[in-house]
Amino acid sequence: MLRMTNLSKVYRTHMIETHALRGFEIDVKEGEFVTVTGPSGSGKTSFLNIAGLLEEFTSGEYILDGVNVKGLNDNARSRLRNEKLGFIFQGFNLIPDLSLFDNVDVPLRYRGFNASERKKRIEEALAKVGLASRMKHYPAELSGGQQQRVAIARALAGSPKLLLADEPTGNLDTQMARGVMELLEEINAAGTTILMVTHDPELAVRTHRNVHIIDGQVSDLVRKGPTLVQTPVTA
Amino acid sequence: MFVYYFKLGVRSLRRNRFLTALMVLTLAVGVAASVSTLTILHVMSGDPIPEKSSRLLVPEVDNGPPETYNPGTEQDDPQLTYQDSINLLKSGKGVRRTAMFGLYAPLEPPRKDLPAFSAYGMAPTRDFFAMFDVPFLHGQTWTEQDDTRGADVVVLGREMAERLYGSANPVGQRLMLMGFPFTVVGVVDKWNPRPRYYKLIGGDNFGDAEGFYVPLSTAVRHERNQSGSMNCSMRREPGYAALLTSECTWMQFWFETASSGDRAELQEYLDNYIADQRKLGRFKRNAPNKLYDVMEWMDRLKVVDNDSKLSAWLAFGFLVLCLVNTIGLLLAKFSVRASEIGVRRALGASRAEIFRQFLIETGVVGLAGGLLGLVLSFGALALIGMQGSNIAAIAHMDWQMLALTFVLSVAAAVLAGLLPTWRACQVTPAIQLKSQ
Repeated sequence: MLRMTNLSKVYRTHMIETHALRGFEIDVKEGEFVTVTGPSGSGKTSFLNIAGLLEEFTSGEYILDGVNVKGLNDNARSRLRNEKLGFIFQGFNLIPDLSLFDNVDVPLRYRGFNASERKKRIEEALAKVGLASRMKHYPAELSGGQQQRVAIARALAGSPKLLLADEPTGNLDTQMARGVMELLEEINAAGTTILMVTHDPELAVRTHRNVHIIDGQVSDLVRKGPTLVQTPVTA
Repeated sequence: MFVYYFKLGVRSLRRNRFLTALMVLTLAVGVAASVSTLTILHVMSGDPIPEKSSRLLVPEVDNGPPETYNPGTEQDDPQLTYQDSINLLKSGKGVRRTAMFGLYAPLEPPRKDLPAFSAYGMAPTRDFFAMFDVPFLHGQTWTEQDDTRGADVVVLGREMAERLYGSANPVGQRLMLMGFPFTVVGVVDKWNPRPRYYKLIGGDNFGDAEGFYVPLSTAVRHERNQSGSMNCSMRREPGYAALLTSECTWMQFWFETASSGDRAELQEYLDNYIADQRKLGRFKRNAPNKLYDVMEWMDRLKVVDNDSKLSAWLAFGFLVLCLVNTIGLLLAKFSVRASEIGVRRALGASRAEIFRQFLIETGVVGLAGGLLGLVLSFGALALIGMQGSNIAAIAHMDWQMLALTFVLSVAAAVLAGLLPTWRACQVTPAIQLKSQ
C-alpha cells in the first residue's frame, strides 16, 4: 500500500540544513494498522506529511498504492490525495461555518461525484460514526469526540485506501479516545489501511505494528504479546 | 464547482462581518464615484442616433480673412453663411439636406388666460424632421411648397402645444408668432435628444426641447435674427438683406447621405463648390474643407468638456485607491482562512481549485459592492442632478450603465483579489494542519 525506499527530507535555510528524514524505509501492507511513534522532532510529522502528499521529499522513492509519486505535479498529487487518502487530525480541522453534512461533502466535491452519490456517501459515513441525526448541526455544537467522529466520517466518505491519522485522540479525554480508537479498529477491520501517529503506548500496542522513528530513521517495533520489542534500525 | 464556490462565497460574506462590510463599502464607494461620473460622460458622449450617425454629415468651410489664418488650427465658428447654406441646399447632394438657425420669438397664445411670452424655436427646412427621425404626435411637417414660398406655418413642440392647447389636437389652429398669424401643421411628440447634436452651436446642448419650428424661408422672409452665435470676420453693410449676402456665419447645415460610403463623393462636391467660390473671390484662406459625421461633430465641438473627462479620471483614481484598500482587507480576510485552505488542500483541492474558490468569493464581494455601489450611484446622480435642471436631465442611469456598475464592481473585486488569492494558494497545508 505504502512503500518508502531510502527516502530523505532536508529542510534548508540560508544558514543550516536540517535532515528530518534520512535513509527512511517503510513498507505498509494493505489492511495493516500501523502506529508511528517517536520523540518530538524525530521526523514523525515529516513522514506523515510526505505520506499524505502534503510535502515533497528530497530524495528516495515513495510508492503509494502502486503509484510512484515522485515528480507528480500539484494537480496529480491532489487527485491522488483525494482518491486514495483520508486524513484525521489531532485538532479535528473541521470547517467551522459548514454543517456536518457540508464538512463531509468537501472531499467528495473535489472527487466530482454527482449530488445523489455525494448525499448517499455522506449519510452512510455519518451513520457509520453515529452522527446521522446531527448532519445539519455545526461543529461548535458538538463535543470534541463527536467532532473527531465527523472528521473520521469525512475521511471515510471518499472510501480511501489509506487513512492517515495524526494523534487523533490527542485532544480527547480517555473515554472519548477509547471510542475513537474502537471506531478506527472497526474501520481497519473493514479493510482500510491505517497509519496513525500517536504518543500513547496503550494505543500503539492495540495495532498490528508500531513503527518507531528516531532521528529521522525507522526502527520497527513488533507486537510480542502485551509488550513491544524493538528491532534493529533498518537503515 | 462554480455554483458550490459561489454559495461558499455568499456564506463567507457572513463570516467576519465587519471586514466584509468594510470591503463591500470600500468597493461600493469607489464604484459609485466612477459610475456616476461615467454615467454623465456616457450620456454626453453617447451616439444619439446610432442607426444613421455616420450618414449625417456637417460641412465645415473656412471663409475667414487670410491675414488672421493660422494653418492647422480649427476655425473659430464652424457655421456657414446664408448664401453657402442656400447653395448647398440647392445642390441636390445627399438624400436630404437642411440648413437651420435658432429663434427666440414672441408668441401670443390663443387662450385669453395666458399672457404673451417669448419662446425658443428653430428655423430649419422640412427635411430636418425626417433627417433626425423627429416623431410627430399630430399632423406632419410643412410641405415643400411651404419651404419654397416661406409660408406662415408652424410645427409645435409637444410641451408648447400642451401649454397652448391642452391635450387637444391643435393642427389647423392659428396663433400669433413673431407678430404674424401662423397655422399649426404639426406637433412633435416627446423628442429631446441629449446632447442636442443637431444644433450644437448657440444654446444649451443639454437644454429643453424646441418650442416651435418654422420654415427657414419664413423666418428669413420675416427678417428674424438668429438666437445663437454669429461670426462676422469681415465688414458688412447694415440691414437684413446685407446679412444674407455677407460673409457672416450663423447657419448650421446637415447632409444626409444614402450610405456612409457616399461621404467621399460629398467631400469631392464640397471641394469643387469651394473651388468655384474661390474663383469668385471668396474663401481666401485656402483652408481644407471638412465633413463631420455626428460623433465627429460632437468631438469637434467638445460636447464632452475637459472638466468632465478630468472628473472621470479622478473618479477612477479614487477607485484605484479603494482597490488598494480592498486588497489589504482581502489579505486580512484570507489570512484567517489559512487553516481552512490547509484542510481543503489535504482533502484533495489543488492550488488551482483554491485559486478558483477564493477568486469566486472575491467576485461575490464584488457583486455585493456592485449592489451597494448602485444605490450610492443613484444617490450621487440625484445629488449631481440637484445642481440644475440641465444636468439633472443627463444624470440618469440606463441599462448599459446598470450593467457596467456590476461588471466594474466584480472586475474591480477580482482584480483586487488576485494577490490575496494567489497568496492563499501558497499556504503550506502541513503547517496549517499541525498548528490547529
